Amino acid sequence: MTTPQDAISAARKDGRSALDEATGKQLLETFGVTVPQSIVTKDADSAAKDAGGLKFPVVVKVMSQDILHKSDAGGVKVGLQNADEVKDAIATMAALPAIKKATVDGYLVEEMAPAGQELVVGGLKDPQFGPLVMVGLGGIFVEVLKDVAFRICPIEEIDAREMLAELKGAALLKGARGQKPASEDAIVDVLMKVGGDNGLLMQLEDDIAEADINPLIVSETSAVAVDARFILTEQKSS
Amino acid sequence: MTKNVKTSPASGQDAAAYYQPLFAPKTVAIVGASSTKEIIGNTFLRRIKDYGFKGDIYPIHPKADEIDGYKAYPSVADTPKPVDYCYIAVGAARVADVIASSKGRMKFAHVISSGFGEVSEGVELQNQLVQTAHDNNCRVIGPNSLGLYSPRGGITFVEESSKELGPVGVISQSGGLGTDIVARGQRRGVKFSGLVSVGNCADIGPTELLEFYLDDPQTKVIGAYLEQVDEGRKFFETLKASQGKKPVVILKGGRTAQGSRAAASHTGALAGNEQVWLALSKQTGCILADTLDDFLDILLAFQNLEPRDDRPSDRIALFGNGGGTSVLASDFYARLGLSIPPFDTKTVDALRELNLPPGTSIDNPIDAPVGTLRQDDGAIAEKIMDAMYAYSKPDALVMHLNMAAFRGRTPPSVMENLLKAAFRIQKRYPGQAHFLLALRSEGDPETEEIKRRFRQIALEASVPVYDELSNAAVALAAVKFYETFKRDHVKA
Repeated sequence: MTTPQDAISAARKDGRSALDEATGKQLLETFGVTVPQSIVTKDADSAAKDAGGLKFPVVVKVMSQDILHKSDAGGVKVGLQNADEVKDAIATMAALPAIKKATVDGYLVEEMAPAGQELVVGGLKDPQFGPLVMVGLGGIFVEVLKDVAFRICPIEEIDAREMLAELKGAALLKGARGQKPASEDAIVDVLMKVGGDNGLLMQLEDDIAEADINPLIVSETSAVAVDARFILTEQKSS
Repeated sequence: MTKNVKTSPASGQDAAAYYQPLFAPKTVAIVGASSTKEIIGNTFLRRIKDYGFKGDIYPIHPKADEIDGYKAYPSVADTPKPVDYCYIAVGAARVADVIASSKGRMKFAHVISSGFGEVSEGVELQNQLVQTAHDNNCRVIGPNSLGLYSPRGGITFVEESSKELGPVGVISQSGGLGTDIVARGQRRGVKFSGLVSVGNCADIGPTELLEFYLDDPQTKVIGAYLEQVDEGRKFFETLKASQGKKPVVILKGGRTAQGSRAAASHTGALAGNEQVWLALSKQTGCILADTLDDFLDILLAFQNLEPRDDRPSDRIALFGNGGGTSVLASDFYARLGLSIPPFDTKTVDALRELNLPPGTSIDNPIDAPVGTLRQDDGAIAEKIMDAMYAYSKPDALVMHLNMAAFRGRTPPSVMENLLKAAFRIQKRYPGQAHFLLALRSEGDPETEEIKRRFRQIALEASVPVYDELSNAAVALAAVKFYETFKRDHVKA
């Protein structure tokens, strides 16, 4: 198994400024954050065989450095029920103009996360204060209302709980408006694994400039990182 | 950033001793005083002489034998004793030479001169200054500083500054604001253990002075006006390691400045200076003040009150004259997360038995008109407060007096008796409630004079005095925040 350091070195060697989604999720998994079971496949022809071991339904996402917003480019297809549907989805994607002109590293096929509320967990290296960790509710809460809480790493468990409590949308996590509640313990666990003393941001302080886990899907019992983006720090000239 | 910075004692264990020569120097040298006219160095000399500096003063001058009645020396290398504190106010280009010529006989150089890191052409000069200082075993405050106010050492840079040594230690990244903090603070009762105008922080910065104040037995509460903290991480870690040992109140300039980083992520786009400082506050228990007035009001509260770790100040009782004032205050306190809960039946029954005149409310907030308060020459207040403290046991009591309403209707002794009644209740129920006083004045000179006198009386009884109920609320919310942090974040 590759260590986080190896994966980061490999990405840097390829001249990448960010980790691809599959590598990012491996990184999260190394630090104990649950990610969906997944495989990476090269193209439509290899998909059926490679995806055989997954539990359907699955989602397919295109992997390319050239494509920042996969959904906008048509590079995400959810709810695929079997290997044939996966194969067709990849074939359709590959023919789309935005994907056709990009350098495609492959296609990520992954199991669908159990239904739940969408959160965002983020990380950032502040030039004065070092790593910061962030949490917010997904969608308009982050993007429009900017309803987020930051802390300086490393955080303690009480910090993680206070971060959630200070969100204006905190009541939604407890199951307002007929929704099922989201597990606070599961979110706190992710925040500690990302922002705690032995967490990802502290351990990889020199390498991670920015991080988005978006969305983190939180059910009554679990939290699953469904998408992850890690921007690397500018490499020091050695 | 200057390399090779010799830092103060790492853990802060010996910080109080390390900075002793700065805050209580035995010998002071002044570079930048003239033998013929008053320039900035002469002003400093006059100030510390008038202020009562007890040690030796050595004016440094290349030619003069004497300055303002003191024997002058050509350099710090020539003074009879080594120099603890050297005040330097000469052209930027000459400062490093002044320090070099001390040949290691200068412990702290306080560089008032500007023209260093605050302008691009002075950056190199600043690096040289620090390097020279370290080569000569000297530490630098400044450059581009306004001075030091240290009552324990008889040093001041503020005209008419109080000689009384107090418990409030301040770090200021603005000299002008530092002057305001001393001048305004002392008029509302803040008493200082020290204030350092740190200027450009080329060598000694906010973190190291924070270590000093945390370690200094004289300092009970710490205030800091900050604009830019280069060693943010170390500042955070020092605060966090202190586990709320002393309340720290921060007035941070530039909090709303947008981050200049080009963000590639959601998180990066959302992060700003404001978020980082809010996080720092919540993780370390330090209090963020929004205005200079709030800053001083909060410092005054911590100077006089004893925070409780086990029972944060949440349930507040209000007592005074002014119905509308009480109603408005209830709203304001609620907005700051302070509750003004109704009294329990025992308190209400006890208050009812006092047969207070009509127009007096017997629930929280207690609105008692002057007609009520003047009963028994003010002694009635003691019975009212006793009923509150015996049964409802509030976490804090704010007594407010609309002073204009008393004048002409009561002899002056009534208001004073009200204060004394409150002090007696505080003694009778030790540790029960924080007691704060709002002396509300309409601004009439006669009222202001009474207020000034009462403020003095109150401060002698360790009671903080505020202009309005809202000022007291800001201070109480800060106390509550600190107490809650200690309860929830600090392991016993």
